[in-house]
Amino acid sequence: MKTINTYQIKDAAKNCGVDKAVILQFIQEEWITPFDKNQLQLDDEDLERIKLIAELQDLGVNDDAVPIILHLIDQLNLYHQGLRH
Amino acid sequence: MSKNPYAVLGVKETATQEEIKKAYRSLAKKHHPDLNPGNKQNEAKFKEISHAYDQIGTPEARAKFDRGETEENPFQQGGQGRQWSSYYNTQQNSGRYSQSFADAFGDEDLFEQIFGRSRSGKKSRQHTNEDMHYQMDISFADSILGAEKVITLANGKNLSVKIPAGIEDGKKLRFKGQGNHDFADVPAGDAFIQINVLPEKGWIRNGDDVEMELPVSFFEAILGAEISVNTLHGPVMLKIPPGVSTGTKMRIKGKGVLSNAKQGNQIVKLKVMTPKNPEPGMVDELKKIQTKYQYNPRESMSENHAGGTT
Repeated sequence: MKTINTYQIKDAAKNCGVDKAVILQFIQEEWITPFDKNQLQLDDEDLERIKLIAELQDLGVNDDAVPIILHLIDQLNLYHQGLRH
Repeated sequence: MSKNPYAVLGVKETATQEEIKKAYRSLAKKHHPDLNPGNKQNEAKFKEISHAYDQIGTPEARAKFDRGETEENPFQQGGQGRQWSSYYNTQQNSGRYSQSFADAFGDEDLFEQIFGRSRSGKKSRQHTNEDMHYQMDISFADSILGAEKVITLANGKNLSVKIPAGIEDGKKLRFKGQGNHDFADVPAGDAFIQINVLPEKGWIRNGDDVEMELPVSFFEAILGAEISVNTLHGPVMLKIPPGVSTGTKMRIKGKGVLSNAKQGNQIVKLKVMTPKNPEPGMVDELKKIQTKYQYNPRESMSENHAGGTT
């Protein structure tokens, strides 16, 4: 069975090398859907997605384009999964 | 041995920082592992580009590199380099995000999604729907306990507003898509509701705690008592130990802001009250007690400033 690590926002921020406010913004924009929305607990998937968004922004992707790219990446991953199975 | 970062990024050694950044961005965009899922060659290339950029991407790092103080590629050495996302890996065995994507868009036509979206995306740059701003007064108790209120928006629509427990004065709540919607072809603006907490006499908030003053008689202060005290969560019996004074603080656990993350208390500050117009008989009795039992409340003060009773 897969074990799930969960993180509080402040630990996630440390782990991803971003500010707490950045993560809260990502959540508010609905780019990140926390593993546990009520307790604001993030899991490894959330953390990797935060790093991905931060990298995209680092590459000059603006806020309007972030959701479009995430959408395409999710799509790509889904099709890639479909191809492998 | 690492490759020359200038060569990796395809820039001259005389390139400006801006040119280096531009070259890095354009290569990184092409080779980012999440944009090329499962392509190991690309991943290696991306790491090489990232490492090159780490070496000469900032004037400080570049000066160091140009002086010959090279650092090993952390990706090759397994060291503490920059951690790149492996978002792709998290999504391979039915990750939550690609799964929810499948649930939401599984049946739609791929091209309609992408091109349908980008068309409307373009239009939104020409005109947008405005956000609307509102103010809402709430009671002190509601600010601590949380509440559910209904507000009528400018368009006549009623919006149910859930106020989280422990909300702070001046805080804004955002309601996506509840703002202006004059332009039907672009998404509606948002509604922002600023919370104004009305003061409550005798109560103040201190972080997640609430504080209030509780008057006690001097009998209760000397002898101790059990007194019913109002909390925002309903009345409780508070046990006052014998020998308290004005200013003694007592804590009623868990009667402040309560939420998943917060465990506030109610702080009760005692205030010893003497009777305004004591009955003559009471005064006589007290005088008798005073001559029989004496104590010095100024004992802890230095002798010079103790102040006599005469």
